[in-house]
Amino acid sequence: MKHILAALLASTLLLPTIVRAGADDGKAIAAEVCAACHGADGNSVAPIFPNLAGQTARYIYLQLKDFKEGRRKNELMSPQVANLSKQQMNDLGMWYASQKAKPTGFQADGAKVIEGKKVADAALCPMCHLGGFSGQNEVPRVAGQHYDYILKQLMDFKNKRRTNDAGNMLSVVRTISDEDLERLAQYAASLD
Amino acid sequence: MQLKSRVTALAAALTLAGLCSAAFAGEEISGQSTVSGKPMSKNLVTVTQDLLNKSPTDSNHWLHSNGSYAQTRFYPAKQINTSNVAKLRPAFIFQTAVTESMETAPLVVNGVMFLTTSYNHVYAIDAVTGEEFWHYKHKLGPVTTYCCGPNNRGVAAYGDLLFMGTLDAKLVALDAKTGKLVWETEIADPEKGYSETMAPTVVDGKVLIGTNGGEYGIRGFVKAFDAKTGNLLWTFNTIPEKGHEGVWATHDATGRDLLRNIGKEKELLAKNGSDFYQTLGGGVWMTPAVDLASRTVYFTVGNPSPDLYGDIRPGDNLFTDSIVAIDLDSGAYKSHFQYVAHDVWDLDAVSPPVITEARGKDGKMQKVVIHGGKTGHVYVHDAKTLELIRFSDAMIPQENMWVLPTANGARMLPGANGGVEWSPLAVNPKLHMSYAANLHQPMTYHVEEAGYPGGDKLWLGGAFKVIGAEKQWGRLAAVNLDTGKLAWKADTDQPLMGGALATGGDLVFTGEGNGSFNAYDAKTGKKLWSFNVGAGANSPPISYSVGGKQYIGVAAGGNTQLDFKRGNSYVVFALP
Repeated sequence: MKHILAALLASTLLLPTIVRAGADDGKAIAAEVCAACHGADGNSVAPIFPNLAGQTARYIYLQLKDFKEGRRKNELMSPQVANLSKQQMNDLGMWYASQKAKPTGFQADGAKVIEGKKVADAALCPMCHLGGFSGQNEVPRVAGQHYDYILKQLMDFKNKRRTNDAGNMLSVVRTISDEDLERLAQYAASLD
Repeated sequence: MQLKSRVTALAAALTLAGLCSAAFAGEEISGQSTVSGKPMSKNLVTVTQDLLNKSPTDSNHWLHSNGSYAQTRFYPAKQINTSNVAKLRPAFIFQTAVTESMETAPLVVNGVMFLTTSYNHVYAIDAVTGEEFWHYKHKLGPVTTYCCGPNNRGVAAYGDLLFMGTLDAKLVALDAKTGKLVWETEIADPEKGYSETMAPTVVDGKVLIGTNGGEYGIRGFVKAFDAKTGNLLWTFNTIPEKGHEGVWATHDATGRDLLRNIGKEKELLAKNGSDFYQTLGGGVWMTPAVDLASRTVYFTVGNPSPDLYGDIRPGDNLFTDSIVAIDLDSGAYKSHFQYVAHDVWDLDAVSPPVITEARGKDGKMQKVVIHGGKTGHVYVHDAKTLELIRFSDAMIPQENMWVLPTANGARMLPGANGGVEWSPLAVNPKLHMSYAANLHQPMTYHVEEAGYPGGDKLWLGGAFKVIGAEKQWGRLAAVNLDTGKLAWKADTDQPLMGGALATGGDLVFTGEGNGSFNAYDAKTGKKLWSFNVGAGANSPPISYSVGGKQYIGVAAGGNTQLDFKRGNSYVVFALP
């Protein structure tokens, strides 16, 4: 009990006030606009929708901005963000960043995971996404993301269906075979 | 990122709560310092300009991240030497609350150590026992933008203050005695890709600091701030508004053809103009060297933005990939030397310059400035003009230089991390030798057309990839500065990042990603001692003495850029 109290107290102390307020505002928008697909707490309802719980606030904000301004396109997302303000997009980022990702239940193929890590190391993924794909700033967390969603993004970068990456991801995946991209997605999806 | 640090902090808070509720109550409040049970040591002294000047012969303190204004990383004490280093044992291990990449070189002021961690924490600890005096955690703003890990490489000390650059591009001044924030100022806008990981340097009341951001399309600089007030005194832009196209150099500093299409570049410049100077990069990653006699500040300037796609930035891209000298008092340009014009490989100039002595072209000893390049050469310059006197033998394998990057990747050695990355060199001035931590990472270089994405996204204009089938390794290389010949080399299983320390005991120290922290004979390169610190030993080692006893310190925090095992500790060694 003492530990639980300490944890509550600690989390209160640790969250800067401004972040907490932004996240609270984001919670209301998330419930209204995003929850049907991404879940109220950012754990999505189906593997084709990305989990947002634990994603970096900066990445969520920049993606929302790119959807709104047309640099990233998706028939489901684009209309949802059309009326969001900069503040609302930031608040959503803070809300989802503050949420805890739940296991996706993905059954990884052990052999593919081992090979996938080799693909990640050769492509220097950890230099930007950090070791364990935990993400930082504008570079997304991929650990624990849905396998289907990860693979779709990799293929979309490769086939230039997703082009809001300043060319970085296109350049990385261009020379990686589809089979290796599957292995890479297996590896990332297997991480906590 | 912030969440992660909070989770780490939470874990630390919980652990402490279980042990001692009093300690917990004061733990981890952003933007504030906390005092643990132990009051600040009475030995802490004011860091005067005189003390800072005397560092090259000072056998007590370690007052500059690189040892002195000359940045030789040479510590004169001889107590630990080639005959007894085999007996070196841990004296204490200090654990921080942050388990993430550690590239810090602490300062030691009369037995008080100031060390930093990733995410801009600062600790003051007893440099003999490891007991904590205070802990400061910078309150990071909502936006941070940085490449290659949430690192910090240390503080500068001046008077009774400490100075630290932060990931959100602020400069903070702390009270050395209490860790309390005295002032804070914005260096640049983090939403435009600016961030700080370097240790500043302070001289005559001026805090000098550069900037990261060459991977985000910044316009680089070195700035001087008033140590008392935080007011900006001057700015030197590393990218001039006019003339950055330079002399249209066709060859690099060593005479190799850069394979540039100068005709096409000139056409592109005429057609599209030269306004791209505002996003041309040229970060200054590491601490400048200062020559007080000539009032000159020397620093190295990093890559142009974007790293690999050159068509968008025709010309030599001055002063990227250069060593630059400016006036300490005004920030005015003095001279420069560019190593690689129109770089499209990110083989830039990062490792900090060192002022020392070596034979000139006429064979006479003279003042020189040296730099260890990502190219794998040590460059020796005349300190007055920056004219290149000589460049060393290649310290690591070079192949296919300078093949142009392609969409599907072109293999070239060295890989984009070097050679010598940010790792500072050490110099033994008696032996006229420099010691450089090198990487061998075979890579392919890939180019992709990409316009400026606005400052808030990584902008490489391509990618570099490690060739999985080719072995990577590291090499500590000693260069005779009088001749440029390799004096010796000591190879390691993993690429080296972290830098070197040389001592009066004719030793050289460096650490490896697998945790091995090693001592070598400075004359021969023979490995004399090794101790595994349990996580990547990827910080520049330091040495200091307290009460007549010499210590050697290194961080065991691992490394983000090379994904070496992370840790959270600072490990200090002494003779039994």
